[in-house]
Amino acid sequence: MALAVFFVAAAMAVLGGIGVVAFHQPIRSVLSLVVVMLALSILYLLLSAQFVFAAQIIVYAGAVMVLFLFVIALLGPARELGRGRLRFQGWLSGLFVVVLLGLMWAMLQGVQYRQPDKTDLSFFGTVQSIAVGLFTTYLYPFELTSILLLVAAIGAIYLSRKRIDDL
Amino acid sequence: MNIGGSQLDASWFLLLSAVLFGLGAVGVLVRRNPLVILISIELMLNAANLTLVTFARQLQNLEGQLFALMSMTVAAAEAVVGLAILVDIFHTRDVEDVDDLSELKG
Repeated sequence: MALAVFFVAAAMAVLGGIGVVAFHQPIRSVLSLVVVMLALSILYLLLSAQFVFAAQIIVYAGAVMVLFLFVIALLGPARELGRGRLRFQGWLSGLFVVVLLGLMWAMLQGVQYRQPDKTDLSFFGTVQSIAVGLFTTYLYPFELTSILLLVAAIGAIYLSRKRIDDL
Repeated sequence: MNIGGSQLDASWFLLLSAVLFGLGAVGVLVRRNPLVILISIELMLNAANLTLVTFARQLQNLEGQLFALMSMTVAAAEAVVGLAILVDIFHTRDVEDVDDLSELKG
């Protein structure tokens, strides 16, 4: 059962990824990325990462993608016309992907994973266990994240302000 | 790795993550619309997140999931700032290709 779920979600993710690269209209790329994110959230659930699953749906498939859609709506549909100036980029990217996948395949041949220490998975990845990690051991990075978000918000407001010489 | 009663190797997840990362890299290299390049970067970040969560499950160590959450936050901040820069560029000039943005080349 889990095997079938994995392969369906993996096929969805790969097809969505191909859609991101292949579609010529940005709005279709964004919607393909939503498909990828939903497929990945299913995989997170398979990997017993419940909180990451919820965060993926709410933050990524919800908030970030809506942001992308708003920007596309603001800028209007832009199609890519003609060829680029750097023609070797297509070949280069194909070579890169082949080399990367070849390396991964070679690395995964006969790999042995270290056995986990404990076997009780009933609390693994729940909101409770995530919160214990986030608010005890990793409290400092967690608080720094809020500063990062504040900086990003101020930066976005500053970048999208009305210029004084426009007035 | 025993998932839902069936044996599912972590290598499958890692391979899927590599495929998604490769697709994102192709998008960054091939596409010329700056918006689509940002979308492809998001795809690569998601692939990295999948690797983190996979190893968290494999080693039964929650730190991988915590790091995935942190990287989600950073990705959201990156998307906000990147899109703000894009909107600013699109408003000041008529750009339809990242190759038009070559002022920093000197």
